[in-house]
Amino acid sequence: MAGYRSRLEKDLDGWIARGLVPAVSREPILADVGEARRLDAATTLAILGALLAGVAVIAFVAANWSAIPRVVRFGLILAAFLGASGGAAWASGREKPVTTHVLLAVAALVFGAAIGLTGQIFDIAGDARTALRGAGLAAALLALAGRSPWPAAVALLFIGLGDVTGGGWFLGETRWPGWLVWAAPAGALLAWRWRSTALAHAAGLASIVAGFSLSAMHPHRPEGLFMAMAAVLAVLALGARSRRETAEAQASALYGWWAWGALIWFGAAGFGEAFRGVPHSVAWMAVSAAVVVLGRTDRHAAVTAAGIVALFAAGARLLFNLGVGLMTSAAVFGACAVAALVVAFVLKRARTA
Amino acid sequence: MRIGLPVRIMAAAVLLALGLVGLVVREGVARAHGQEVLLPIEAYDPRSLLSGHYLQFQFRETLAADAACPPGTETPPPFRRGWVALAPAGARYRVAGMAERREAARRLGPLVVRGLATCADTGTPLGGRGKAVELNLGFNRFHADQAHAEAMSKALIQAPAGGALAAISVGRDGKARLKGVVIGGTRTDLDWF
Repeated sequence: MAGYRSRLEKDLDGWIARGLVPAVSREPILADVGEARRLDAATTLAILGALLAGVAVIAFVAANWSAIPRVVRFGLILAAFLGASGGAAWASGREKPVTTHVLLAVAALVFGAAIGLTGQIFDIAGDARTALRGAGLAAALLALAGRSPWPAAVALLFIGLGDVTGGGWFLGETRWPGWLVWAAPAGALLAWRWRSTALAHAAGLASIVAGFSLSAMHPHRPEGLFMAMAAVLAVLALGARSRRETAEAQASALYGWWAWGALIWFGAAGFGEAFRGVPHSVAWMAVSAAVVVLGRTDRHAAVTAAGIVALFAAGARLLFNLGVGLMTSAAVFGACAVAALVVAFVLKRARTA
Repeated sequence: MRIGLPVRIMAAAVLLALGLVGLVVREGVARAHGQEVLLPIEAYDPRSLLSGHYLQFQFRETLAADAACPPGTETPPPFRRGWVALAPAGARYRVAGMAERREAARRLGPLVVRGLATCADTGTPLGGRGKAVELNLGFNRFHADQAHAEAMSKALIQAPAGGALAAISVGRDGKARLKGVVIGGTRTDLDWF
Protein backbone atom coordinates (compact mmCIF):
# COMPACT_ATOMS: atom_id res chain seq x y z
CA MET A 1 0.00 0.00 0.00
CA ALA A 2 2.81 2.40 0.91
CA GLY A 3 4.56 1.69 -2.41
CA TYR A 4 1.36 2.30 -4.35
CA ARG A 5 0.70 5.54 -2.44
CA SER A 6 4.15 6.96 -3.14
CA ARG A 7 3.84 6.01 -6.84
CA LEU A 8 0.40 7.64 -6.93
CA GLU A 9 1.73 10.83 -5.31
CA LYS A 10 4.43 11.07 -7.99
CA ASP A 11 1.94 10.34 -10.79
CA LEU A 12 -0.55 12.87 -9.42
CA ASP A 13 2.10 15.60 -9.37
CA GLY A 14 2.92 14.82 -13.00
CA TRP A 15 -0.77 14.78 -14.06
CA ILE A 16 -1.43 18.08 -12.27
CA ALA A 17 1.62 19.66 -13.96
CA ARG A 18 0.27 18.54 -17.36
CA GLY A 19 -3.24 19.74 -16.52
CA LEU A 20 -4.79 16.26 -16.62
CA VAL A 21 -6.02 16.42 -13.01
CA PRO A 22 -7.11 19.56 -11.12
CA ALA A 23 -4.80 20.37 -8.20
CA VAL A 24 -7.74 20.45 -5.78
CA SER A 25 -8.36 16.74 -6.44
CA ARG A 26 -4.91 15.74 -5.16
CA GLU A 27 -5.73 15.50 -1.45
CA PRO A 28 -9.18 13.80 -1.84
CA ILE A 29 -7.63 11.16 -4.12
CA LEU A 30 -4.78 10.47 -1.68
CA ALA A 31 -7.21 10.40 1.24
CA ASP A 32 -9.28 7.81 -0.64
CA VAL A 33 -6.24 5.54 -0.96
CA GLY A 34 -5.49 5.81 2.77
CA GLU A 35 -2.33 5.20 4.72
CA ALA A 36 -0.79 1.77 5.03
CA ARG A 37 -1.26 0.27 8.47
CA ARG A 38 2.03 0.27 10.31
CA LEU A 39 2.91 -1.45 13.55
CA ASP A 40 4.49 0.77 16.18
CA ALA A 41 7.43 -0.41 18.30
CA ALA A 42 5.26 -1.21 21.33
CA THR A 43 2.87 -3.39 19.30
CA THR A 44 5.78 -5.16 17.56
CA LEU A 45 7.44 -5.89 20.93
CA ALA A 46 4.13 -7.11 22.36
CA ILE A 47 3.69 -9.53 19.42
CA LEU A 48 7.28 -10.77 19.79
CA GLY A 49 6.77 -11.20 23.54
CA ALA A 50 3.58 -13.21 22.98
CA LEU A 51 5.33 -15.43 20.43
CA LEU A 52 8.30 -16.03 22.76
CA ALA A 53 5.93 -16.82 25.64
CA GLY A 54 4.22 -19.38 23.39
CA VAL A 55 7.56 -20.96 22.48
CA ALA A 56 8.55 -21.06 26.17
CA VAL A 57 5.28 -22.83 27.09
CA ILE A 58 5.72 -25.36 24.25
CA ALA A 59 9.35 -26.04 25.29
CA PHE A 60 8.32 -26.44 28.95
CA VAL A 61 5.53 -28.88 28.08
CA ALA A 62 7.83 -30.81 25.70
CA ALA A 63 10.54 -31.09 28.35
CA ASN A 64 8.07 -32.59 30.83
CA TRP A 65 5.88 -34.42 28.31
CA SER A 66 6.63 -37.97 29.43
CA ALA A 67 6.24 -36.99 33.11
CA ILE A 68 2.74 -35.63 32.51
CA PRO A 69 -0.04 -38.21 33.14
CA ARG A 70 -1.56 -39.60 29.93
CA VAL A 71 -5.02 -38.21 30.58
CA VAL A 72 -3.58 -34.73 31.24
CA ARG A 73 -1.54 -34.92 28.01
CA PHE A 74 -4.69 -35.81 26.11
CA GLY A 75 -6.48 -32.91 27.84
CA LEU A 76 -3.69 -30.52 26.80
CA ILE A 77 -4.02 -31.57 23.17
CA LEU A 78 -7.80 -31.16 23.21
CA ALA A 79 -7.41 -27.78 24.94
CA ALA A 80 -4.98 -26.62 22.24
CA PHE A 81 -7.42 -27.69 19.51
CA LEU A 82 -10.49 -26.19 21.18
CA GLY A 83 -8.50 -23.04 21.99
CA ALA A 84 -7.55 -22.48 18.35
CA SER A 85 -11.12 -23.26 17.22
CA GLY A 86 -12.59 -21.01 19.90
CA GLY A 87 -10.25 -18.22 18.83
CA ALA A 88 -11.39 -18.67 15.24
CA ALA A 89 -15.05 -18.53 16.32
CA TRP A 90 -14.37 -15.36 18.32
CA ALA A 91 -12.53 -13.74 15.38
CA SER A 92 -15.31 -14.66 12.93
CA GLY A 93 -17.85 -13.03 15.27
CA ARG A 94 -15.84 -9.80 15.14
CA GLU A 95 -15.45 -10.04 11.38
CA LYS A 96 -11.69 -10.56 11.35
CA PRO A 97 -11.44 -12.92 8.36
CA VAL A 98 -7.65 -13.28 8.24
CA THR A 99 -7.44 -14.16 11.96
CA THR A 100 -10.32 -16.62 11.49
CA HIS A 101 -8.59 -18.33 8.56
CA VAL A 102 -5.24 -18.51 10.36
CA LEU A 103 -6.71 -19.92 13.59
CA LEU A 104 -8.88 -22.44 11.75
CA ALA A 105 -5.85 -23.63 9.76
CA VAL A 106 -3.92 -23.94 13.05
CA ALA A 107 -6.86 -25.87 14.56
CA ALA A 108 -6.88 -28.22 11.55
CA LEU A 109 -3.12 -28.84 11.90
CA VAL A 110 -3.42 -29.33 15.68
CA PHE A 111 -6.22 -31.85 15.14
CA GLY A 112 -4.05 -33.76 12.66
CA ALA A 113 -1.25 -33.84 15.25
CA ALA A 114 -3.79 -34.77 17.94
CA ILE A 115 -4.77 -37.93 16.07
CA GLY A 116 -1.13 -39.08 15.98
CA LEU A 117 -0.38 -38.02 19.55
CA THR A 118 -3.51 -39.68 20.91
CA GLY A 119 -2.41 -42.94 19.28
CA GLN A 120 0.99 -42.52 20.88
CA ILE A 121 -0.29 -41.52 24.33
CA PHE A 122 -2.69 -44.46 24.66
CA ASP A 123 -0.73 -46.92 22.47
CA ILE A 124 -3.61 -47.20 20.01
CA ALA A 125 -2.46 -49.06 16.92
CA GLY A 126 -3.73 -47.67 13.67
CA ASP A 127 -3.14 -47.25 10.00
CA ALA A 128 -1.17 -44.10 9.11
CA ARG A 129 -3.20 -43.65 5.92
CA THR A 130 -6.50 -43.75 7.83
CA ALA A 131 -5.14 -41.28 10.38
CA LEU A 132 -4.03 -38.81 7.68
CA ARG A 133 -7.30 -39.09 5.79
CA GLY A 134 -9.19 -38.64 9.06
CA ALA A 135 -7.18 -35.46 9.69
CA GLY A 136 -8.02 -34.33 6.14
CA LEU A 137 -11.75 -34.86 6.65
CA ALA A 138 -11.59 -33.03 9.97
CA ALA A 139 -9.85 -30.09 8.29
CA ALA A 140 -12.49 -30.12 5.54
CA LEU A 141 -15.26 -30.03 8.17
CA LEU A 142 -13.63 -27.02 9.85
CA ALA A 143 -13.26 -25.32 6.45
CA LEU A 144 -16.91 -25.84 5.56
CA ALA A 145 -18.10 -24.79 9.02
CA GLY A 146 -16.09 -21.57 8.90
CA ARG A 147 -16.31 -20.99 5.13
CA SER A 148 -12.54 -20.76 5.33
CA PRO A 149 -10.17 -21.63 2.47
CA TRP A 150 -6.99 -22.10 4.54
CA PRO A 151 -8.11 -25.21 6.46
CA ALA A 152 -9.42 -26.48 3.11
CA ALA A 153 -5.84 -26.25 1.80
CA VAL A 154 -4.69 -28.12 4.94
CA ALA A 155 -7.32 -30.77 4.15
CA LEU A 156 -5.87 -31.23 0.66
CA LEU A 157 -2.40 -31.57 2.19
CA PHE A 158 -3.48 -34.28 4.67
CA ILE A 159 -5.51 -36.15 2.05
CA GLY A 160 -2.57 -36.02 -0.39
CA LEU A 161 -0.20 -37.33 2.30
CA GLY A 162 -2.73 -40.07 3.06
CA ASP A 163 -2.77 -41.06 -0.62
CA VAL A 164 1.00 -41.52 -0.78
CA THR A 165 1.40 -43.12 2.67
CA GLY A 166 1.55 -46.88 3.10
CA GLY A 167 -0.26 -47.59 -0.12
CA GLY A 168 2.08 -50.28 -1.42
CA TRP A 169 2.77 -48.16 -4.49
CA PHE A 170 5.38 -50.46 -5.93
CA LEU A 171 3.65 -53.79 -5.32
CA GLY A 172 1.87 -53.60 -8.67
CA GLU A 173 -1.56 -54.21 -7.11
CA THR A 174 -4.70 -52.86 -8.73
CA ARG A 175 -6.37 -50.41 -6.34
CA TRP A 176 -8.80 -47.55 -6.28
CA PRO A 177 -7.28 -44.14 -6.99
CA GLY A 178 -6.45 -41.85 -4.08
CA TRP A 179 -8.88 -39.44 -2.48
CA LEU A 180 -7.24 -36.43 -4.15
CA VAL A 181 -9.03 -37.43 -7.36
CA TRP A 182 -12.29 -36.09 -5.87
CA ALA A 183 -10.81 -33.78 -3.22
CA ALA A 184 -8.87 -31.64 -5.73
CA PRO A 185 -11.93 -30.73 -7.88
CA ALA A 186 -13.92 -30.10 -4.69
CA GLY A 187 -11.14 -27.76 -3.54
CA ALA A 188 -11.19 -25.95 -6.90
CA LEU A 189 -14.97 -25.54 -6.63
CA LEU A 190 -14.67 -24.09 -3.13
CA ALA A 191 -11.84 -21.79 -4.26
CA TRP A 192 -14.18 -20.52 -6.94
CA ARG A 193 -17.13 -20.05 -4.58
CA TRP A 194 -15.08 -18.43 -1.81
CA ARG A 195 -12.94 -16.41 -4.24
CA SER A 196 -9.73 -17.75 -2.66
CA THR A 197 -6.54 -17.62 -4.70
CA ALA A 198 -4.58 -19.57 -2.04
CA LEU A 199 -7.04 -22.46 -2.21
CA ALA A 200 -7.04 -22.27 -6.02
CA HIS A 201 -3.26 -22.79 -5.99
CA ALA A 202 -3.56 -25.70 -3.54
CA ALA A 203 -6.36 -27.32 -5.56
CA GLY A 204 -4.47 -26.82 -8.83
CA LEU A 205 -1.35 -28.49 -7.45
CA ALA A 206 -3.46 -31.27 -5.91
CA SER A 207 -5.08 -31.88 -9.32
CA ILE A 208 -1.66 -32.69 -10.78
CA VAL A 209 -0.62 -34.90 -7.85
CA ALA A 210 -3.94 -36.77 -8.07
CA GLY A 211 -2.75 -38.24 -11.37
CA PHE A 212 -0.11 -40.34 -9.60
CA SER A 213 -2.73 -42.37 -7.78
CA LEU A 214 -4.60 -43.04 -11.04
CA SER A 215 -1.77 -45.36 -12.07
CA ALA A 216 -2.85 -47.68 -9.24
CA MET A 217 -6.05 -48.51 -11.15
CA HIS A 218 -4.02 -50.03 -13.96
CA PRO A 219 -0.46 -50.34 -12.61
CA HIS A 220 1.00 -52.19 -15.60
CA ARG A 221 -0.52 -50.04 -18.38
CA PRO A 222 -1.31 -46.63 -16.84
CA GLU A 223 -0.67 -44.58 -20.00
CA GLY A 224 -4.34 -44.57 -21.08
CA LEU A 225 -5.33 -43.13 -17.69
CA PHE A 226 -2.57 -40.52 -17.92
CA MET A 227 -3.78 -39.48 -21.37
CA ALA A 228 -7.35 -39.23 -20.06
CA MET A 229 -6.08 -37.16 -17.13
CA ALA A 230 -4.24 -34.86 -19.56
CA ALA A 231 -7.43 -34.43 -21.59
CA VAL A 232 -9.55 -33.67 -18.51
CA LEU A 233 -6.99 -31.14 -17.22
CA ALA A 234 -6.75 -29.52 -20.66
CA VAL A 235 -10.55 -29.09 -20.76
CA LEU A 236 -10.51 -27.70 -17.21
CA ALA A 237 -7.65 -25.33 -18.13
CA LEU A 238 -9.62 -24.00 -21.10
CA GLY A 239 -12.70 -23.69 -18.88
CA ALA A 240 -10.75 -21.69 -16.29
CA ARG A 241 -9.27 -19.56 -19.09
CA SER A 242 -12.74 -18.62 -20.31
CA ARG A 243 -13.83 -17.69 -16.78
CA ARG A 244 -11.03 -15.26 -16.06
CA GLU A 245 -13.33 -12.27 -16.39
CA THR A 246 -15.63 -13.54 -13.62
CA ALA A 247 -12.97 -14.32 -11.01
CA GLU A 248 -9.62 -13.39 -12.48
CA ALA A 249 -7.21 -14.34 -9.70
CA GLN A 250 -8.72 -17.76 -8.95
CA ALA A 251 -9.37 -18.70 -12.59
CA SER A 252 -5.89 -17.54 -13.55
CA ALA A 253 -4.26 -19.68 -10.84
CA LEU A 254 -6.26 -22.75 -11.84
CA TYR A 255 -5.60 -22.10 -15.54
CA GLY A 256 -1.85 -22.12 -14.88
CA TRP A 257 -1.78 -25.28 -12.76
CA TRP A 258 -4.13 -27.22 -15.02
CA ALA A 259 -2.07 -26.27 -18.09
CA TRP A 260 1.04 -27.61 -16.33
CA GLY A 261 -0.88 -30.76 -15.35
CA ALA A 262 -2.20 -31.40 -18.85
CA LEU A 263 1.30 -31.17 -20.34
CA ILE A 264 2.91 -33.27 -17.58
CA TRP A 265 0.41 -36.13 -17.90
CA PHE A 266 0.44 -35.94 -21.70
CA GLY A 267 4.22 -36.38 -21.54
CA ALA A 268 4.01 -39.14 -18.91
CA ALA A 269 1.63 -41.11 -21.16
CA GLY A 270 4.44 -41.33 -23.73
CA PHE A 271 6.48 -43.55 -21.43
CA GLY A 272 3.90 -46.35 -21.68
CA GLU A 273 3.81 -48.98 -24.41
CA ALA A 274 0.64 -47.66 -26.07
CA PHE A 275 2.01 -44.20 -26.92
CA ARG A 276 5.76 -44.79 -26.99
CA GLY A 277 7.47 -43.49 -30.12
CA VAL A 278 8.16 -40.52 -32.37
CA PRO A 279 4.50 -39.59 -33.11
CA HIS A 280 3.79 -38.99 -29.40
CA SER A 281 6.94 -36.87 -28.99
CA VAL A 282 6.05 -34.78 -32.06
CA ALA A 283 2.47 -34.36 -30.78
CA TRP A 284 3.83 -33.37 -27.36
CA MET A 285 6.05 -30.74 -29.00
CA ALA A 286 3.15 -29.41 -31.06
CA VAL A 287 0.85 -29.18 -28.02
CA SER A 288 3.64 -27.52 -25.99
CA ALA A 289 4.23 -24.97 -28.75
CA ALA A 290 0.49 -24.24 -28.84
CA VAL A 291 0.52 -23.72 -25.06
CA VAL A 292 3.46 -21.28 -25.38
CA VAL A 293 1.45 -19.30 -27.94
CA LEU A 294 -1.63 -19.40 -25.70
CA GLY A 295 0.40 -18.25 -22.69
CA ARG A 296 1.90 -15.34 -24.64
CA THR A 297 -1.51 -14.36 -26.03
CA ASP A 298 -3.06 -14.42 -22.54
CA ARG A 299 0.04 -12.80 -20.96
CA HIS A 300 0.05 -15.68 -18.49
CA ALA A 301 3.59 -16.41 -17.31
CA ALA A 302 2.82 -19.79 -15.70
CA VAL A 303 1.14 -21.12 -18.85
CA THR A 304 4.00 -19.84 -21.04
CA ALA A 305 6.54 -21.43 -18.70
CA ALA A 306 4.63 -24.74 -18.78
CA GLY A 307 4.75 -24.72 -22.56
CA ILE A 308 8.46 -23.89 -22.71
CA VAL A 309 9.47 -26.55 -20.16
CA ALA A 310 7.30 -29.14 -21.90
CA LEU A 311 8.80 -28.12 -25.25
CA PHE A 312 12.31 -28.85 -23.95
CA ALA A 313 11.18 -32.15 -22.40
CA ALA A 314 9.40 -33.18 -25.60
CA GLY A 315 12.48 -32.28 -27.65
CA ALA A 316 14.70 -34.39 -25.41
CA ARG A 317 12.21 -37.24 -25.59
CA LEU A 318 12.10 -36.96 -29.38
CA LEU A 319 15.89 -37.14 -29.61
CA PHE A 320 15.84 -40.20 -27.39
CA ASN A 321 13.16 -41.85 -29.55
CA LEU A 322 15.14 -41.13 -32.70
CA GLY A 323 18.18 -42.83 -31.20
CA VAL A 324 20.06 -39.52 -31.55
CA GLY A 325 20.39 -40.13 -35.30
CA LEU A 326 21.55 -36.67 -36.37
CA MET A 327 20.17 -36.69 -39.93
CA THR A 328 16.77 -37.94 -38.76
CA SER A 329 16.77 -35.42 -35.91
CA ALA A 330 17.64 -32.62 -38.34
CA ALA A 331 14.75 -33.65 -40.61
CA VAL A 332 12.21 -33.86 -37.77
CA PHE A 333 13.28 -30.58 -36.13
CA GLY A 334 13.37 -28.91 -39.53
CA ALA A 335 9.81 -30.08 -40.27
CA CYS A 336 8.69 -28.82 -36.84
CA ALA A 337 10.37 -25.45 -37.49
CA VAL A 338 8.66 -25.11 -40.88
CA ALA A 339 5.30 -26.00 -39.33
CA ALA A 340 5.80 -23.39 -36.58
CA LEU A 341 6.83 -20.72 -39.12
CA VAL A 342 3.83 -21.47 -41.34
CA VAL A 343 1.44 -21.22 -38.37
CA ALA A 344 3.10 -17.95 -37.28
CA PHE A 345 2.76 -16.56 -40.82
CA VAL A 346 -0.92 -17.56 -41.04
CA LEU A 347 -1.65 -15.98 -37.64
CA LYS A 348 0.16 -12.78 -38.67
CA ARG A 349 -1.82 -12.59 -41.91
CA ALA A 350 -5.07 -13.18 -40.05
CA ARG A 351 -4.27 -10.34 -37.60
CA THR A 352 -3.36 -7.81 -40.31
CA ALA A 353 -6.36 -8.72 -42.49
CA MET B 1 -32.96 -19.74 10.71
CA ARG B 2 -29.41 -19.09 9.60
CA ILE B 3 -26.76 -20.34 12.03
CA GLY B 4 -23.94 -17.86 12.60
CA LEU B 5 -20.34 -18.61 11.70
CA PRO B 6 -19.02 -18.71 15.31
CA VAL B 7 -21.67 -21.27 16.31
CA ARG B 8 -20.91 -23.41 13.27
CA ILE B 9 -17.16 -23.35 13.95
CA MET B 10 -17.59 -24.29 17.61
CA ALA B 11 -20.12 -27.01 16.75
CA ALA B 12 -17.66 -28.57 14.29
CA ALA B 13 -14.78 -28.29 16.79
CA VAL B 14 -16.80 -29.87 19.63
CA LEU B 15 -17.94 -32.65 17.28
CA LEU B 16 -14.33 -33.42 16.33
CA ALA B 17 -13.13 -33.29 19.95
CA LEU B 18 -15.94 -35.66 20.98
CA GLY B 19 -14.96 -37.96 18.12
CA LEU B 20 -11.41 -38.13 19.43
CA VAL B 21 -12.61 -38.75 23.01
CA GLY B 22 -14.98 -41.41 21.68
CA LEU B 23 -12.11 -43.13 19.89
CA VAL B 24 -10.02 -43.24 23.07
CA VAL B 25 -12.94 -44.54 25.17
CA ARG B 26 -13.91 -47.14 22.56
CA GLU B 27 -10.33 -48.42 22.32
CA GLY B 28 -10.03 -48.49 26.12
CA VAL B 29 -13.25 -50.49 26.48
CA ALA B 30 -12.25 -52.89 23.68
CA ARG B 31 -8.82 -53.36 25.28
CA ALA B 32 -10.35 -54.08 28.69
CA HIS B 33 -12.97 -56.52 27.37
CA GLY B 34 -10.88 -58.44 24.83
CA GLN B 35 -9.32 -61.83 25.43
CA GLU B 36 -5.84 -61.44 26.88
CA VAL B 37 -3.03 -63.56 25.48
CA LEU B 38 0.73 -63.53 26.03
CA LEU B 39 2.98 -63.63 22.97
CA PRO B 40 6.79 -63.88 22.90
CA ILE B 41 8.70 -60.75 21.92
CA GLU B 42 12.33 -59.94 21.18
CA ALA B 43 14.35 -56.73 20.94
CA TYR B 44 13.79 -55.08 17.58
CA ASP B 45 17.40 -54.32 16.74
CA PRO B 46 19.97 -53.75 19.48
CA ARG B 47 22.13 -51.74 17.05
CA SER B 48 19.38 -49.24 16.37
CA LEU B 49 20.66 -45.70 16.84
CA LEU B 50 17.18 -44.33 17.29
CA SER B 51 15.61 -44.57 20.69
CA GLY B 52 13.24 -42.44 22.67
CA HIS B 53 10.44 -42.64 25.14
CA TYR B 54 9.32 -46.02 23.89
CA LEU B 55 10.35 -49.65 23.96
CA GLN B 56 10.60 -51.11 20.47
CA PHE B 57 10.05 -54.85 20.10
CA GLN B 58 9.03 -57.47 17.58
CA PHE B 59 6.72 -60.45 17.93
CA ARG B 60 9.14 -63.26 17.15
CA GLU B 61 9.37 -66.86 18.20
CA THR B 62 12.27 -69.15 17.32
CA LEU B 63 11.07 -72.63 16.43
CA ALA B 64 12.75 -75.91 17.29
CA ALA B 65 15.31 -77.05 14.68
CA ASP B 66 13.08 -79.83 13.33
CA ALA B 67 9.79 -77.94 13.64
CA ALA B 68 7.79 -77.09 10.52
CA CYS B 69 6.54 -73.61 9.75
CA PRO B 70 2.86 -73.00 10.65
CA PRO B 71 0.60 -73.41 7.59
CA GLY B 72 0.25 -70.33 5.43
CA THR B 73 3.39 -68.64 6.77
CA GLU B 74 6.11 -70.28 4.66
CA THR B 75 6.02 -67.83 1.76
CA PRO B 76 5.34 -64.08 1.71
CA PRO B 77 1.54 -63.77 1.52
CA PRO B 78 -0.09 -62.39 -1.64
CA PHE B 79 -2.36 -60.17 0.53
CA ARG B 80 -1.55 -57.23 2.75
CA ARG B 81 -4.01 -57.96 5.56
CA GLY B 82 -4.74 -61.46 6.74
CA TRP B 83 -5.89 -63.40 9.77
CA VAL B 84 -3.44 -65.15 12.08
CA ALA B 85 -4.55 -68.16 14.11
CA LEU B 86 -3.16 -68.42 17.65
CA ALA B 87 -3.11 -71.56 19.77
CA PRO B 88 -2.28 -71.91 23.48
CA ALA B 89 1.12 -73.35 24.36
CA GLY B 90 1.29 -73.44 28.15
CA ALA B 91 0.71 -70.03 29.66
CA ARG B 92 1.34 -68.24 26.40
CA TYR B 93 0.13 -68.45 22.82
CA ARG B 94 1.95 -69.29 19.59
CA VAL B 95 1.22 -68.75 15.90
CA ALA B 96 -0.72 -71.75 14.55
CA GLY B 97 -1.17 -70.56 10.97
CA MET B 98 -2.36 -67.77 8.72
CA ALA B 99 -5.09 -67.37 6.10
CA GLU B 100 -6.59 -64.56 4.06
CA ARG B 101 -10.08 -65.08 5.51
CA ARG B 102 -11.19 -65.25 9.12
CA GLU B 103 -13.13 -68.51 8.72
CA ALA B 104 -10.14 -70.23 7.13
CA ALA B 105 -7.83 -69.03 9.93
CA ARG B 106 -10.32 -70.23 12.57
CA ARG B 107 -9.81 -73.79 11.32
CA LEU B 108 -6.08 -73.48 12.17
CA GLY B 109 -6.37 -72.28 15.77
CA PRO B 110 -8.97 -71.37 18.38
CA LEU B 111 -8.19 -67.63 18.47
CA VAL B 112 -7.82 -65.48 15.36
CA VAL B 113 -6.38 -61.99 15.11
CA ARG B 114 -5.86 -59.55 12.23
CA GLY B 115 -2.24 -59.41 11.09
CA LEU B 116 0.47 -61.13 9.11
CA ALA B 117 2.83 -63.93 10.08
CA THR B 118 5.92 -65.07 8.21
CA CYS B 119 8.20 -67.97 8.87
CA ALA B 120 11.80 -67.86 7.68
CA ASP B 121 15.13 -69.60 8.04
CA THR B 122 17.40 -68.05 10.64
CA GLY B 123 20.52 -69.92 9.47
CA THR B 124 23.64 -67.96 8.55
CA PRO B 125 26.37 -68.74 5.98
CA LEU B 126 28.67 -69.57 8.92
CA GLY B 127 26.39 -72.32 10.11
CA GLY B 128 23.47 -72.87 12.41
CA ARG B 129 20.00 -73.73 11.23
CA GLY B 130 16.59 -72.88 12.52
CA LYS B 131 13.34 -71.15 11.80
CA ALA B 132 11.55 -68.24 13.38
CA VAL B 133 7.99 -66.96 13.07
CA GLU B 134 7.53 -63.20 12.97
CA LEU B 135 4.16 -61.66 13.63
CA ASN B 136 2.99 -58.23 12.50
CA LEU B 137 -0.01 -56.99 14.47
CA GLY B 138 0.32 -53.34 13.47
CA PHE B 139 2.23 -52.13 16.52
CA ASN B 140 5.75 -52.65 17.84
CA ARG B 141 6.19 -49.96 20.48
CA PHE B 142 5.35 -49.53 24.14
CA HIS B 143 5.43 -45.86 25.13
CA ALA B 144 6.79 -44.93 28.54
CA ASP B 145 8.89 -42.15 30.02
CA GLN B 146 12.41 -42.15 28.64
CA ALA B 147 14.28 -43.56 31.66
CA HIS B 148 11.75 -46.38 32.04
CA ALA B 149 11.76 -47.13 28.30
CA GLU B 150 15.57 -47.29 28.21
CA ALA B 151 15.66 -49.61 31.24
CA MET B 152 13.08 -51.90 29.60
CA SER B 153 15.00 -51.86 26.29
CA LYS B 154 18.19 -52.95 28.09
CA ALA B 155 16.32 -55.70 29.95
CA LEU B 156 14.68 -56.88 26.71
CA ILE B 157 18.05 -57.15 24.93
CA GLN B 158 19.48 -59.18 27.82
CA ALA B 159 16.39 -61.37 28.26
CA PRO B 160 16.85 -65.06 27.31
CA ALA B 161 14.79 -66.52 24.42
CA GLY B 162 11.17 -66.63 25.54
CA GLY B 163 11.94 -64.47 28.56
CA ALA B 164 9.96 -61.49 27.31
CA LEU B 165 6.26 -61.40 26.50
CA ALA B 166 3.69 -58.89 25.33
CA ALA B 167 0.21 -58.98 26.81
CA ILE B 168 -2.26 -58.27 24.05
CA SER B 169 -6.01 -58.05 24.07
CA VAL B 170 -7.86 -59.59 21.12
CA GLY B 171 -11.23 -57.92 20.66
CA ARG B 172 -14.38 -59.28 19.05
CA ASP B 173 -13.41 -57.36 15.91
CA GLY B 174 -10.24 -59.47 15.72
CA LYS B 175 -8.02 -56.47 16.34
CA ALA B 176 -5.06 -56.87 18.67
CA ARG B 177 -4.43 -54.13 21.23
CA LEU B 178 -1.36 -53.86 23.41
CA LYS B 179 -2.05 -54.13 27.16
CA GLY B 180 1.44 -54.42 28.57
CA VAL B 181 4.81 -56.15 28.47
CA VAL B 182 6.42 -58.75 30.75
CA ILE B 183 10.21 -58.54 30.78
CA GLY B 184 12.33 -60.54 33.20
CA GLY B 185 9.23 -61.49 35.18
CA THR B 186 8.18 -57.87 35.69
CA ARG B 187 4.91 -56.83 34.11
CA THR B 188 4.27 -53.22 33.04
CA ASP B 189 0.72 -52.40 32.00
CA LEU B 190 -0.66 -49.47 30.05
CA ASP B 191 -2.96 -47.31 32.13
CA TRP B 192 -4.66 -43.94 31.94
CA PHE B 193 -1.93 -42.30 34.00
